[in-house]
Amino acid sequence: MFRRVVLLLITLGMLGFWLSACRPAAPSPVTLTIIMEQVPDTDVIRKLLPDFEKENPGIRVVIDAMPYDAMRDKILASFMAPKATYDVIIVDNPWMDEFVAGNFLEPLDDRIKGIPDYDFEDFVKPLQDIGVVGGKIYGVPFYNYAVGLIVRQDLFDDPAYRDAYEKKYGKPLTPPTTLDDYVRIAQFFKEQSGGKIYGAAMQPQRGYKIFEEWKNWLYAAGGNLLDEQGNVIIDRPEAVRALELYIEMYKTAAPPNSLNWGFDEALRSMAAGEAATMMSYNWMLPTLNNPQGPAGALAGKFALYEVPGGKAVLGAWHWAIPRNAPNKDASWRFISWITSKRIEKQRVILGGAPVRASVMKDPEVWQKGFGQSYYETVLRILEDAEPLARGPKAEEIIQVVGTELNAAVAGEKTAEQALKDAAAQVRRILGQ
Amino acid sequence: MSRRDRWLGHRMVFPLILLLLIVQGYPMAFAAYISLHDYRLTALNEVRWVGLAQYAGLLENPSYWTAMRNTLIFVFGAVGLELSLGFLLAYLLWRPVPAQNAFRAILLTPMFVTPIAVGLMFRFLLNNQLGIIPVWLRALGVEIDWFGPDLALFSLILIDVWQWTPLMVLLLLAGLEALPAEPFEAARVDGASEFQILRHLTIPLLRPVILAAVLIRMLDAFRVFEYVYAITRGGPGERTETILFYIYRVGFLYFRLGEAAAMAFTLAVVIFVLVVFLFRILRRQEALT
Repeated sequence: MFRRVVLLLITLGMLGFWLSACRPAAPSPVTLTIIMEQVPDTDVIRKLLPDFEKENPGIRVVIDAMPYDAMRDKILASFMAPKATYDVIIVDNPWMDEFVAGNFLEPLDDRIKGIPDYDFEDFVKPLQDIGVVGGKIYGVPFYNYAVGLIVRQDLFDDPAYRDAYEKKYGKPLTPPTTLDDYVRIAQFFKEQSGGKIYGAAMQPQRGYKIFEEWKNWLYAAGGNLLDEQGNVIIDRPEAVRALELYIEMYKTAAPPNSLNWGFDEALRSMAAGEAATMMSYNWMLPTLNNPQGPAGALAGKFALYEVPGGKAVLGAWHWAIPRNAPNKDASWRFISWITSKRIEKQRVILGGAPVRASVMKDPEVWQKGFGQSYYETVLRILEDAEPLARGPKAEEIIQVVGTELNAAVAGEKTAEQALKDAAAQVRRILGQ
Repeated sequence: MSRRDRWLGHRMVFPLILLLLIVQGYPMAFAAYISLHDYRLTALNEVRWVGLAQYAGLLENPSYWTAMRNTLIFVFGAVGLELSLGFLLAYLLWRPVPAQNAFRAILLTPMFVTPIAVGLMFRFLLNNQLGIIPVWLRALGVEIDWFGPDLALFSLILIDVWQWTPLMVLLLLAGLEALPAEPFEAARVDGASEFQILRHLTIPLLRPVILAAVLIRMLDAFRVFEYVYAITRGGPGERTETILFYIYRVGFLYFRLGEAAAMAFTLAVVIFVLVVFLFRILRRQEALT
């Protein structure tokens, strides 16, 4: 008995000692861990970090960069943990409503109001809207990946092509503004070059990619995924027409066997001088025009336009704070710093994709960045752009529609059937 | 055995049973639980009992059936090819060959590469823009779209064959070398031809090994995921959507873990039925010999 009592006392004593050692330590520097994607825009943020840490002694920032595919699981695991792994996260636009519906994100309205010169309205409207769910702001724009039409300007300016086109169609050869023109011009380049230059490097890869490309065609044909009331209208005749034209383009003007092509393949094709046009992210233009970039000797010959029809698919990443983040004030300190007008300007000059209108109108940015016309075009693209899908089920809708579209291009179904199937599945997902 | 010994035996096995319950029993039970609930990671406060609704939902889910069909085609195609090729190679190596250990070692190397690396390797080797294989084929005037709608699943089967035929060779060769020499000598004395020996002696004697090898490979092939993930992502259309990849999509991209668990259980049933079937063949064979 005595031994047991002694043992108990010793145990209690050790426990007490351990607990006393656990008391909160003196305020030590806060470390913010941020999950990010391994992309050039993340490297730009890395370059800005020393400035942030200098201006905010006591906050250290660690970036955990990873490939896109790993991010969703990790972010969710961090949400589920009692204390978040990540103090700041970046949210891809299809995830925004889902994360808010899961009650994972911290509303930012009060924090934004707390900074008088923040000027939230300066973010281009469609970008702002992605971060607003149910009237509250949950995300602040980080960078955009809206789609534009990238063309080989030297081909469009080449007198031989110009004359041949004018002779054949009776109008000047200019970057296309309608779908019909786009298909015709692409076919023209392929024929005229004897098959050496394809009309368009397309991205019909199943899932996100094909939907991201084709939805520009859908907008141009006057269609959409949902109407204003939220009804599924992706099986309407204008959508069928858009898909039929897209398939015609793939069959007659795209590089052969490119059914699995995504972003990388199309970029390589364009950089190798194999293709005259491609629909891709607007910030691919500086990459292609960089003499040290992938295009080599072709650098400088590319130009950016709005997609045919003018309305583009909008993609964007937003900064957000998880509800279970331990140091929300420090998290917001970082987000508000990096998205402030002053730093946004530096970020864009370093090559980051812009999100604030004021920056795109800033002559200093034009001069130190990629030139006036580029930023003006990007601003025009962003002002008339809409994300692929919204709502808590956006990710699944995108995958389902992207699978059906790819099946149609692969010739497994007719365009009409594929869209009918896509619409049926989207209705099921939305519970209509 | 006395009662005391038996009791001791039970007690000694107990830690193992406990371990199994923790690492296998609990996840299985939890999976069974969520397969009967509407369990979505993004809506954990709305978890509710749905009974067998998720299983019933699978019946009318065309993507699920496509994935199941693709998986079966993949399993039978890959294992069938691996068996025939593996047997051929094992048979050729089952005799004194110069430098035979070197041969065997080289043959086994693909097995040591992790599947995701194999997937990426072939994705680039067969890539139309960058791959060396299309370049060579083009030099011969052949243009093949390896990951087009018609060939994609077949290409994945070939990749699996490249990687896993060595395992087949290893198992079958071990089986061949364990065969008794006498029946073969007797057959030769009786004047049987090589083909007759193969057909009436080697294959029947080797049958248990063949079945075991097929079983091992089949269980593994059902879990095909890496090649799909690294190369096709289930496309074009749904041509290479395998069941495990589909489960991954529903569970970890759409976060509907309940439905994914239900699918996983149906897959377990399919595998279980096949295994029982193969074991019965094996038993019957043993009874005959």
